Amino acid sequence: MLFRSFTTRGAAGVILAVVLTASVTTEGSESDGEAIYREHCQSCHGEGGAGSDASPNPLVGDRSVSQLTSYIADTMPEGEPEAIVGADARAVAAYIHATFYSPIAQDRLRPAREELSRLTVRQHRHVLADLLGSFERPTWNLTDERGLQASYYKGRNHDRRQLVFERVDPMVNFDFGLEGPDPELFEPGRFAIRWVGSLVPFETGEYEFIVRTAHSAKLTVNGGWEDQPLIDAYVKSGNDTEYRGRVFLLGGRTYPLRLEFSKANQGVNNEDREVPTNASIELAWKPPHGVEETIPEHCLLPLQSPSVYVATTPFPPDDRSIGYERGTRISKAWFDAVSQVALETAGHVLEQVDRLAGCKRDDPERREKLQRFAGIFAERAFRRPLNDELTQRVIQQPFAEAPDLDAALTRSIYLTLTSPRFLFRSLPDEAQQGDAYDTAARLSFGLWDSLPDEPLSKAAASGKLASDAEILEQAERMLRDRRSRAKLHDFLISWLGVDQPPELLKDASQFPEFTPRIAASMRTSLHLQLDHLLTDATSGRASDFRRLLTAPEVFLDGPLGAFYGVDVPNARAYRPVTLDDGQRAGVLTHPYLLSLRAYTDDTSPIHRGVFLTRNMLGNVLKPPPEAVTPLAADLHPDLTTRERVDLQTAPVGCQSCHAMINPLGFSLENFDAVGRYRREEQAGQATRPVDASGSYVPRDGDLVTFDGGRELARFLAASPDCHEAFVEDLFHALAKQPTRAWGEDTLPALQQRFAENSYDFRMLVVDSMKVIARPAADHSSRVAVSLGETR
Amino acid sequence: MISRRSLLKQLGVSSAVLPFLGNLPSFAAAATTPRKRLVIVFSPDGVVKKNFWPTEPGPFGDTPLPAILEPFTPFRDQLLTLEGVHNRIAGDGDGHMRGIGCLLTGIELFPGNIQGGSDTPAGWASGLSIDQELKNFFQSNQATATRFGSLEFGVLVPDRADTWTRMVYAGPNKPIAPIDDPYQMYAKLYGQVKDRENMQSVLDDLQEELASVASRLPAEDRRILEEHTQLVREFEQELAAPRETIPHQVPVLEQDVVDENDEMPRISRMQIELLVASLAADFTRVATLQYTNSVGQPRFRWLDISEGQHDLSHEPNSNEEAQEKLTKINAWYASEIAFLAKRLAETPEPGGEGSMLDNTTILWTNELGEGNSHTHDNIPWVFLGGGLGLKTGRAMRVEGGGHHNRLLLSIAHAMGHTSLERFGNPDYCGEGPLTGLS
Repeated sequence: MLFRSFTTRGAAGVILAVVLTASVTTEGSESDGEAIYREHCQSCHGEGGAGSDASPNPLVGDRSVSQLTSYIADTMPEGEPEAIVGADARAVAAYIHATFYSPIAQDRLRPAREELSRLTVRQHRHVLADLLGSFERPTWNLTDERGLQASYYKGRNHDRRQLVFERVDPMVNFDFGLEGPDPELFEPGRFAIRWVGSLVPFETGEYEFIVRTAHSAKLTVNGGWEDQPLIDAYVKSGNDTEYRGRVFLLGGRTYPLRLEFSKANQGVNNEDREVPTNASIELAWKPPHGVEETIPEHCLLPLQSPSVYVATTPFPPDDRSIGYERGTRISKAWFDAVSQVALETAGHVLEQVDRLAGCKRDDPERREKLQRFAGIFAERAFRRPLNDELTQRVIQQPFAEAPDLDAALTRSIYLTLTSPRFLFRSLPDEAQQGDAYDTAARLSFGLWDSLPDEPLSKAAASGKLASDAEILEQAERMLRDRRSRAKLHDFLISWLGVDQPPELLKDASQFPEFTPRIAASMRTSLHLQLDHLLTDATSGRASDFRRLLTAPEVFLDGPLGAFYGVDVPNARAYRPVTLDDGQRAGVLTHPYLLSLRAYTDDTSPIHRGVFLTRNMLGNVLKPPPEAVTPLAADLHPDLTTRERVDLQTAPVGCQSCHAMINPLGFSLENFDAVGRYRREEQAGQATRPVDASGSYVPRDGDLVTFDGGRELARFLAASPDCHEAFVEDLFHALAKQPTRAWGEDTLPALQQRFAENSYDFRMLVVDSMKVIARPAADHSSRVAVSLGETR
Repeated sequence: MISRRSLLKQLGVSSAVLPFLGNLPSFAAAATTPRKRLVIVFSPDGVVKKNFWPTEPGPFGDTPLPAILEPFTPFRDQLLTLEGVHNRIAGDGDGHMRGIGCLLTGIELFPGNIQGGSDTPAGWASGLSIDQELKNFFQSNQATATRFGSLEFGVLVPDRADTWTRMVYAGPNKPIAPIDDPYQMYAKLYGQVKDRENMQSVLDDLQEELASVASRLPAEDRRILEEHTQLVREFEQELAAPRETIPHQVPVLEQDVVDENDEMPRISRMQIELLVASLAADFTRVATLQYTNSVGQPRFRWLDISEGQHDLSHEPNSNEEAQEKLTKINAWYASEIAFLAKRLAETPEPGGEGSMLDNTTILWTNELGEGNSHTHDNIPWVFLGGGLGLKTGRAMRVEGGGHHNRLLLSIAHAMGHTSLERFGNPDYCGEGPLTGLS
């Protein structure tokens, strides 16, 4: 089994290059790989592949022996590739691979370990949300129902005695005209409506909310009854009919929402002064990476969730240089953000503390109650009980020394939220690493990027988190929590490489129907497709990973359906639709990914091929030697896109990577620049059939060929390379640490379990968590045991 | 009590940690030219004319001041009453709405959905108010720019945003809510200093924490905590760096005063202390202080008056008892303003000559001339102090119907904003600033 080294991913790859002295090895003789390397390769590649002036990059990468062999046979030594072929090529490849080239060899040379890591930005934000949320009343139950609970009232107030009816409105976009909602039940000019429920946004970021109405309205997002509305349009003034407000939300959580509307003059109650006017109201938003639209049904729930504390302090981005966010580096900007968010949170606590601590301002025991609150706050923040020394430093001292209780609480919370015990994970403190509290935190950070909840902490405190069965039970329970779904959703988005997408633009003359609205719907469609699998994975149902690659359906609403030439009834709701006679194959042919990895007017087999090579198959690619602009189509009017790409990447310097990239990318040539299916393409004046044949050399096997997206999908769904890449990517997203820290066996063992479990995504998450729940430091043969491995 | 989240939003969050007064304009620039300050005080529901206006224009001399103005007696030399200036802005909205909404803006309300007790419904004012015009003018010049530019104080302003509760406008349809919670105002003025003290007080403990954790780590992991410790030390030095600020008495607020009618006297004094301090510190040179709202209904139980002010103000002039009560109520507002004047008078001008009152003008005004008639004629205008360089110690009467837009222009010019030729609705700006004020 092969390993990929993430430390080299995206950086140095295969560099076997340049200048060699001529030499001939006798065909057929016993080949000594080491001798051949010393004689023919070392002068450029240096001793142990360390590099030299002629070829400074170290000789490391993740090609298999067979891939290396054919590469060496074809291209090495530089300028004289016939010098090492056949058995010699195989021998030197095997030597290089085993001694220093392969990730395993690198691993032996530099053993991986679980590095001390701070909270990532995502973790920091979710931890604060859950830390504050842990003092609120227990959470509520989600239902599958969508839309908002609407109450319609006679008269201009939201007065229960005037309630006419209640119902669930899928969204808020009404034009009641001059008649109002129902002339038989309401006076046309005097009625009021209140919509309540929750928002479930996919994206994390700044949301702009928009209320459009010519009448009185108030919108509250993520606030209680006593909080200031985000949009206060109680007063209608002049020509203003559109009101905007912005708020930062974390994707995947639920936020309470309330919209109040009144069609009538406010102030003094005087019907004589009212003139008939049209009544309309729309509740819209502009989400990150989206366009302004009526808030869609699938993001609305008819129940009010508790509000979520979302700190507004901006953080510097995390290091992602090795493919996943991790917290192994700190900076001044980071510390300033940590300090600022600690202060912001202390201020928020101060505002709420009497409610949270269950006392009143004039409570004679207020000091004791706040001090107890601060203790529980620190305990939850530190993920373990406080010892005497900590209690003294973080609680007793601030309360003894501060001039007043507000300052005492502020100081205690500030100190808690800037302490390394809060900011760093799994501190090996007082030999506690590996105890039940550490296990609990490993589980909660792995599955939620957040703190242990109450059942998990209780299990840790009562010694019920020691055995593999107990860990498994908790992991299964936690997977059903919405936070797992949010984290896994973010992981899949990042696995598909669309977590920080560029704006999706297309050539207007060629694709006049392509609009920003269509672009936004494509992304929404992807979210829904992923959410579909995650709903199963987080409800204990079977969740076959291969469905992601092979499902023939695409989620479409009316406009997006029209764009792809199908009729979708109920234009506003997305539903899975089989397109193009079943030519679609899951995320591989998803409109959003195809359109994103294409030029404005043409496909880009290279972008698609790089995505398949790296994200899907987990191969390392180095950046191209120089920035290259694609060959202009009009310079070669008779060539298909495929032929132009082949022409441009023909030089040997390109082929080291493009020999792998292009044949993968070509297999998606049946899908044009906006992801529409096609059998033919224009090459100048001529119409030519699309050639979507492709191929790939697996790391452990022989050349595989396929034709078109569905065959590609079938290949990938069964490909060990693809499984390995997915298993490792998921592990990194959960643990924020390299798999190898838990030993070389970890990845193969997880991959084998994945296969044994019929590639069930949920089971893979659980299996990964069984590993991550224990410190890497004592992994020795644990992994195999805990996974029930019998290799 | 303090709505900290809304506060942080107002300040922009970044100021929460790097607050530091030093980098802000005007602390560095000592007063090379004397500062000019304007404080506009609003009280509602009109006045009792016979107990408010001096009988004749001219110097006060030794004549006792009318009953409502009696609390100003110690400052009579710095007092100017201005009669005969009217708010004639017409259009949508009832008398109270236009009274407060056009008072400092000099321009009509937009049509809208807020129905008053009479007239057509209206929305917000269609222009900015004079204090915000002056704020923009001051903030555009390094020499007069201050940390806040303007501060909007309130006392018992109802917690609802409508045409009756807003006097200050940043622009058309842009009402500014006054802060009527002294703790919130304190946090706005001094929260950053407090935060800094709180952070400073625990940084030693934080370093102990780091040391205690680091000692148990393997060497490879210790590096990141050493870096962390270094960052804490740097932060400590940043916090300890001296900051330029004008030394002034930071008010100590009574704790646990709640936002209730009967606390009005205490809240008023707390707000006045914060106002004096923010002027002394040069946090701002323009401020407003809004007592309740247009149609305000406070109950002056501490004056043994149980009816609400607005209800009383509707009583006819023939109701002697109501007239007496309204006189006491207005005299109470005057006494609060006199207290503000006293606090300014006893505070020396920082880095300058005389007292702060010598460089500050307080303007007391109202949305109505009289409550029962809802007239906008003879709006009460009382000036106190030397900031605008007005000719004080007298009662002035403008003959022939002066539009209040002209007075707003006069104020702007007296504050140095002489390029302002029109303000609000130009039709009411006539010959420009009123003459004879200085």
